[in-house]
Amino acid sequence: MSFFRLDPITRKRIRRFRQQRIGFYALILLSLMTIASLFSNFIANNRAIAVRYEGEWYFPTFKFHPSSTFKQEDPYGDSEADYRLLAKSAEGTGNWVLMPPIQFNPYENDFDFYDDPPPHPPDKRHLLGTDDKGRDVFARLLYGLRISMLFSLMLVLLGTIIGVAVGSAQGYFAGWFDLLSQRVIEIWSTLPLLYVVVLLGTMFRPTFFMLLFILLLFQWYSITYYMRTELYREKSREYVQAARSMGASHFRIIFRHLLPNAIVPIVTFTPFAVVGGIFLLTALDYLGYGLPAPTPSWGQLIDQALESSNRGKLWLSLSPFCAITTTLVLVTLIGEGIREAFDPKPWSQYR
Amino acid sequence: MTLATPPSQAPPVLRVTDLKKHFPIKKGLFSRIHGHVKAVDGVSFELGRGETLGLVGESGCGKTTTGRLILKLVEPSSGDVRLGDSPNLAQIPNRQWLPYRRRIQMIFQDPFSSLNPRMPVGSIIGEALAIHKLAARGEQRIKRVHELLEQVGLNAEAAKRFPHEFSGGQRQRIGIARALAVQPEIIIADEPVSALDVSIQAQVINLLEDLQKQMGLSYLFISHDLGVIGHLCHRVAVMYLGKIVEIGPGTALLQQPRHPYTKALLSAVPTIEKEKRRKRIILQGDVPSPVNPPTGCHFHPRCPHRFAPCDKSYPNLAPLGDGSVRVACHLYDPQYKDQLPESFRSSQSSPAVLTA
Repeated sequence: MSFFRLDPITRKRIRRFRQQRIGFYALILLSLMTIASLFSNFIANNRAIAVRYEGEWYFPTFKFHPSSTFKQEDPYGDSEADYRLLAKSAEGTGNWVLMPPIQFNPYENDFDFYDDPPPHPPDKRHLLGTDDKGRDVFARLLYGLRISMLFSLMLVLLGTIIGVAVGSAQGYFAGWFDLLSQRVIEIWSTLPLLYVVVLLGTMFRPTFFMLLFILLLFQWYSITYYMRTELYREKSREYVQAARSMGASHFRIIFRHLLPNAIVPIVTFTPFAVVGGIFLLTALDYLGYGLPAPTPSWGQLIDQALESSNRGKLWLSLSPFCAITTTLVLVTLIGEGIREAFDPKPWSQYR
Repeated sequence: MTLATPPSQAPPVLRVTDLKKHFPIKKGLFSRIHGHVKAVDGVSFELGRGETLGLVGESGCGKTTTGRLILKLVEPSSGDVRLGDSPNLAQIPNRQWLPYRRRIQMIFQDPFSSLNPRMPVGSIIGEALAIHKLAARGEQRIKRVHELLEQVGLNAEAAKRFPHEFSGGQRQRIGIARALAVQPEIIIADEPVSALDVSIQAQVINLLEDLQKQMGLSYLFISHDLGVIGHLCHRVAVMYLGKIVEIGPGTALLQQPRHPYTKALLSAVPTIEKEKRRKRIILQGDVPSPVNPPTGCHFHPRCPHRFAPCDKSYPNLAPLGDGSVRVACHLYDPQYKDQLPESFRSSQSSPAVLTA
């Protein structure tokens, strides 16, 4: 319908969110960080972004090239080209190599350069040092951010969709359906998360999506409480009666009338739910029940830092600590900004 | 008080017979039903084409529920609702109801909660068109919405705005435009002006009257405001505790009420002119609970003229005189002509209605 316009309440909230400068800037900063982490492969990688070799273009980020392509010595046969070496040897030959700013990927063990065993403290080669397997800490932090953010966002998104659907159905259809499903949720919510994750973690080796699914089992129902009561309240309003008297279907009443009025405040919960998701994944990784071993993760870095052999190696503990703190502070500031933008009393503030 | 003239006799567009709604009272999860709130307990009436029937009564007498039962916004317990020659609409499933919703629409009491705050006015009015596939998308629907807005005295430009940008009276006009969108025959108006300022009330009532003249609408006008009812309604039905106690032409009923409850109700209407002031009839006690209505006539514990049969049997809604007025009261039953109480006889000889 061409009457469409973003409704005024929402527009006012967006305007007020932008006026809360801190939250708005935090959102921009976190978005930039997240977007940057999505392009991690161009920022921290041992593969070059672009190679010009003997008049040919190569984009190794997307494609494997054996060392023979660039006439490199290869003791093992068809192993991958060493682009760092290629970059050095290309100087002054008319060939050139564009390397990412961090020339290591998060899985690569950089042993050969150093005489002593890893971990190595920060230096020019590794800005935040290496971990106890000689892997670049900065690269692992960056890829870890991508995984935690994606994981947490997917968890919150899917959890919200399921929770909104179930909660709305409960509130709208009420009666026996509500009574039974509410009892099921109450029983379900007493399941202890950590035990179930540990139990399942010992039975299967959890992949990204399996862990997502397991955590989703404990995530979805929290939003149903809110949606259920919200729909109970909204559906008794006269505009819903009016829609019914016109002959509007359940589908139309739920999607055109009730949800637009009930769903928006969920935005206020979302940032805090995202924080919770990141924190949960980090905690599970720390305990060893999170994502499987070589996956770069913040929890795993903290676990390393706390090992007795790594005492005093501050770059191992401080870097994930700062990364987690920064992310959590930013998300919390965003959440606070949104909450204030939604506050019906315009000048109330937490101090 | 000006009274509209009743329209010519024609088959009724709406016929309601013995409509009932008993809300069960349950305690706990599995326990049995303890009783029923008899919100509407056997209401029957007919509504002619182009006629306005007023439904009056005090709070909680079931007048609003009656309106909602007709539209099946509340599921009726039993009864018969027919639009013209339709099947019994109280008993058919909601899906089969859909075509009949084009013929009967509703205007709501609260102009603030009856419009969805997140929908522009154009979508609110256009929604019924979409549901009943009356105007195709785009241009055609927008044109129809603009027409409707102008019909209720608003600017076509209002379509793009949101409900909160309008005053109460304007919002009620939007509600009327929404009801008119499908070109219904009948409009159930549930206290459409009681939330408005008096000056705005008059405008909205005039609008309703004009629309009736233009489109031949029939109104079921639910209100507790006897002044508004008297101005607008051809016929009036008075409800007490879920039942109609008196129904008749507006003039006759308001100038010469028969039922003791109607008399008391009318005596409570404030008047400015001193000579028109009625002797206030103060009823004793409170409205009884609709869970356990009194035996016999529901009104008898408060009735100033109660006599022998009143607590024994509920009086039928029986026609009086030429049959246009019907009253549910034993005082008018020829069977009890000799037993009438003295208080009633004396009030009959000197009309209680207009006391100088």
